[in-house]
Amino acid sequence: MLSIKELTFRYPSADKPALEGATFDAVRGEVLGLLGPNGAGKTTLISHLSGLLPVQKGEISIDGQQLAVVRRAAPARIAVAPQEYAFYPMLTVNENLECFASAGGLGGTRKQQRIAECLAFAKLERFARTRAERLSGGLKRRLNLAIALLPEPELILLDEPTVGVDPQSRAFLLEAVKELARHGAAVIYTSHYMEEIEAIADRVVIIDEGKLLCDGTLEELLGSGAIKVHLGVDGMGAPTLSELLARFGVTKAAGEGWLLTLAEDKTPASLLSALEQAGGRIRFAEFGRSNLEQLFMSLTHHSLRD
Amino acid sequence: MLFALIKKELLALIRDVHGLAALFLMPLVFIIIMSLALKDVYDPPVKTLPYAIENRDSQPLATTLVEEWKKRHGKPQQEGANWQESVQSGKLSYVLVIEKDFSDALVSGKPDGGIQLRLVTDPGLEGGVFAANKAELVMIASEMRARALLAKTRMMMGAPRGRHAAVPDADTEVSAQEIVEAERFAAGSRPSAVQQNVPAWLVFGMFFVVASLSNLFIQERQCGALARLASLGVPVSIMIWSKALPYLVINGIQAALMLAVGVWLMPLLGGDALSLAGIHWGALLIVLLAVSMAAISLALALASLVRTQAQAATMGPVVNILMAAIGGVMVPKFVMPETMQRIAEFSPMSWGLEGMLAVLLRSSDISGVMLPSAKLAGFAMLMMVVAVLLFRRRVS
Repeated sequence: MLSIKELTFRYPSADKPALEGATFDAVRGEVLGLLGPNGAGKTTLISHLSGLLPVQKGEISIDGQQLAVVRRAAPARIAVAPQEYAFYPMLTVNENLECFASAGGLGGTRKQQRIAECLAFAKLERFARTRAERLSGGLKRRLNLAIALLPEPELILLDEPTVGVDPQSRAFLLEAVKELARHGAAVIYTSHYMEEIEAIADRVVIIDEGKLLCDGTLEELLGSGAIKVHLGVDGMGAPTLSELLARFGVTKAAGEGWLLTLAEDKTPASLLSALEQAGGRIRFAEFGRSNLEQLFMSLTHHSLRD
Repeated sequence: MLFALIKKELLALIRDVHGLAALFLMPLVFIIIMSLALKDVYDPPVKTLPYAIENRDSQPLATTLVEEWKKRHGKPQQEGANWQESVQSGKLSYVLVIEKDFSDALVSGKPDGGIQLRLVTDPGLEGGVFAANKAELVMIASEMRARALLAKTRMMMGAPRGRHAAVPDADTEVSAQEIVEAERFAAGSRPSAVQQNVPAWLVFGMFFVVASLSNLFIQERQCGALARLASLGVPVSIMIWSKALPYLVINGIQAALMLAVGVWLMPLLGGDALSLAGIHWGALLIVLLAVSMAAISLALALASLVRTQAQAATMGPVVNILMAAIGGVMVPKFVMPETMQRIAEFSPMSWGLEGMLAVLLRSSDISGVMLPSAKLAGFAMLMMVVAVLLFRRRVS
């Protein structure tokens, strides 16, 4: 559906590009999780897809047609639900939907039908006559989403759609996003909440400093990682323990214990057995593969950003 | 704790450039403008007003009056017999008309001589200046009459100079008040405070759409609603028209309301009524439309220029008040010195006011309001170009 190839963009007077050679696809029926720290280039990417920034270098196409051509012919095929509450707070829920439905080219009974459908989808029927400024954070997020869905877009960009909402609204929104994909839309979902991405994304793209760091399914990205073991051991001197652990992988101190990245040919069971044979008493031991957050942190080098 | 909070407050203030400008620059500019504009309030510009004389009396006394007036008011303009148009349009502040029997009426001292000296003024001439000119004319004529009567008495009695002269008859009028008349050249309407104030504050009020238009614009820009509209494919031209047209209606309602207040409410409150009798409605509509277009375009340009709500909240009113101060709304243009009057020519509010006064005070038709309306339309177009260019940048 959406294909981005070697997309590069530099803002006037910027030292380095905001996007540099970004390449990935988004397909119908899938949720693509887009991850990146602040300043990674997500907003620049979204602005391109919203038609607010021109393509300087590279290519963005929808079903083989250039994005600009698609946007000119049918701008409503692509919808953006921005991070901000992008609607009119002084208008009621219904008035906002009316306004944006008309702006999206809907009219007559089709408009009324879509408004009713989107109200129902976002479970906002009870609040149709409530002014948007009086809605709770969760309801505002739902209205933001409902507005984006009015013209029945094929590609939907959701930028941090769950910021500042309660757990119930978050669960509702995540389920709603999955439903959109199930109905055949291509969804690009950005969030800082890794567990959300893990819960709903079929594929994940991580970008940082304008560059694409990885692109794959969750299974591909997380399944390939080495097993980590976090353990605490008593009854052994530090040099002896360190020497033993080094035979099983790369070790480093972590709090009151050790964090070991197991070598490919080693297993946690063989490690624990070796420790007991050497006289060590295991206080605690945890093991497993990297989660998305660990992968994200390792790829983006853990450093804080502006 | 108090110190820390005071420090925070000061830092916030210092870093708000627009707020500081409103606090310091606006009063500064105001002091300069108001001082310059009101410079002549205690010394009205009676002596420097453009005027003409129509002398229909060929006798020497009339010539003496002309010379005396010239001495006091400078050289008159040469307008010929068609001075009415110039007075009505405000090009001439007044015309002094000396009727053909002026000399005879002056010398006779009889009260039945009829009006022989007419001061026909611009309909918008300020009341103080009007009264001062009339009083001066009565004074000069009375002095001339006194001299003429004295000379006549001396001649009749053959009394040598320096000796006690005979007192004129009791029915001989020394004051020339009864032969002098001053009138405003007004076709249809009677000039009054309300006739001058309604147009002035109506123009000011119409320009105040700047504040509300820019506030909403900033709000929808900041929340992303404008970007959302753009991503839905709404053209910039539609976005601009969707803002301009409602304010055109609002300006129309403002105009209707203010005129209604002048016509119906003011008399109920004991004031003069605004008279719309004999005005050219087409001309009024053209001026109102031109003022509205200028105000909305300026509002759009300013709204596209500012970046924050705070800037919008200060910039709109500041620009409005400065335009009003310069443009003759707060201080009538005719009390300003010449230099300030020239500066006032650059204020769109002054053009609007000029057009409104032409319609309401001088009963001008469409041709009479074409110049100020064209200036306003030109200004509107310029501001609209600025607005469109900035708007495109802001939306993206």
